[in-house]
Amino acid sequence: MSARILPREAGAAPMDVVIAIMAFLAALALGASLIADRAAEGWRSGLAGHVTVQILPPATGAPGPALDAETASALAVLRATPGIAHAAPVSQADTEKLVEPWLGKGALVEDLPLPRLIDAEIVPGESLDVATLSQKLKAAAPDSALDDHAHWIARLKALSTTLIWSAYAVLALIAVATAATVAFATRAGLQAHHDIVTLLHQMGAQSGFIARAFERHYFLSVLGASLVGASIAAVLFIVARGLEFAGVEAVPFLPPVDLKPMELLWLVTVPFASGLIALATARLSVLAALRNIY
Amino acid sequence: MLRFENVSMRYGPGPEVLRDVTFRLEAGSFTFLTGPSGAGKTTLLKLMYLAEPPSRGLISLFGEELATLRRKAFPALRRRIGVVFQDFRLLDHLSAFDNVALPLRLAGAGDYEHDVEELLTWVGLGERMHAKPETLSGGEQQRVAIARAVVARPDLLLADEPTGNVDADIGERLIRLFGELNKLGTTVLIATHDRGLIERSKAREMRLVDGRLVELRAGRT
Repeated sequence: MSARILPREAGAAPMDVVIAIMAFLAALALGASLIADRAAEGWRSGLAGHVTVQILPPATGAPGPALDAETASALAVLRATPGIAHAAPVSQADTEKLVEPWLGKGALVEDLPLPRLIDAEIVPGESLDVATLSQKLKAAAPDSALDDHAHWIARLKALSTTLIWSAYAVLALIAVATAATVAFATRAGLQAHHDIVTLLHQMGAQSGFIARAFERHYFLSVLGASLVGASIAAVLFIVARGLEFAGVEAVPFLPPVDLKPMELLWLVTVPFASGLIALATARLSVLAALRNIY
Repeated sequence: MLRFENVSMRYGPGPEVLRDVTFRLEAGSFTFLTGPSGAGKTTLLKLMYLAEPPSRGLISLFGEELATLRRKAFPALRRRIGVVFQDFRLLDHLSAFDNVALPLRLAGAGDYEHDVEELLTWVGLGERMHAKPETLSGGEQQRVAIARAVVARPDLLLADEPTGNVDADIGERLIRLFGELNKLGTTVLIATHDRGLIERSKAREMRLVDGRLVELRAGRT
């Protein structure tokens, strides 16, 4: 096997540390985008297949048999509507559970005039004429209100899109920072190995031959450092997943900070992308420098 | 083979190191370049092995006018030149073997181990071919530098004081090696202070004084 044209570089540790940290941050950003995408998709699919009908209690006076009658009428309308697979009233106990995080539980909640709720499941792939259904429900149950969750779905979609694009922006910034770091290191390397580069050039080495020596050097160096950074991020995600299994909830209401095994594989792209960025940057830097030599 | 016409050279705004140098090296010739220290011998060699462009004048190498030649063609010309640098310029992290093999690697040669080993043995370094330059004596380093310059059988061999650090016996041997290469068709130019070497030879002598090529001795057969 041919010996290395460039000597192993002493004092390259600072660049390796910077690259490892950037790869760590890139892996975190990539993982966050995957979690955001999966969570938003889960929320969307959970809401998109259902509609909810509320039967509002009267503003004054106790909800009486009229509310039960309206609920029954609304149920009948829903069950007669094509595209509705299943409709069932939400029990009083389940309704109280829904407000429990905000109002707590006990006699106070039991005395509150909570609306009656009907949860209806849409046949997968079917689309509902929400306006017509709403009119029919109003006719049968004047105090009913139909919610197809369109508003929430739109907001969740906007939120997940924002999160994902923010993560991409962070990844792009890290890519630029990696390229800048390698360009700086390559220039320093060219100065450190000026004698070798000049000798090779004068012996008739093609620019590509010299560039290959540098690009191989920085590709391997950055690949190694970013593997360390991305691995630390992967370990963090695995630990977070273990904590979720152990019942530790990081932040209430937000999705768990864990990655599925297949999603963890995406983190492998970070060191390879970093290595390729380093390779291209080193090559371009060396070729630009060689153009200035006679 | 090589033609200089009114070539002058100055570094930056400094004085001219070479002035109106005009000469030809015919293919297969053997020439000594002499002159006192600071006369411009090393600069003249640098122009010959394409390390620097001249400030003025025309250089023609292997039938190509350098002034009009595309830069992409330079590496191929450089690979046809073997250079023995005065300061050897060996790569410290490579062994003697790998230093000598370098021109063959640059030329894309595949099977070069045998040629390199044979040449290193011939220059007396068969036992030290895997040693790093820093562990070699000055004379041994010089022999590695010479082996590296000749291993690819260059068309033009330029040597800057190639016998400066070796004893008389090895010096004679190296000059014989240059002579053998010359007989095989390599054009040889040696810059040297060694008057004994020149006197024993029948080769042509060019002399540089204060940047001018002032004295010529035609080669004798």
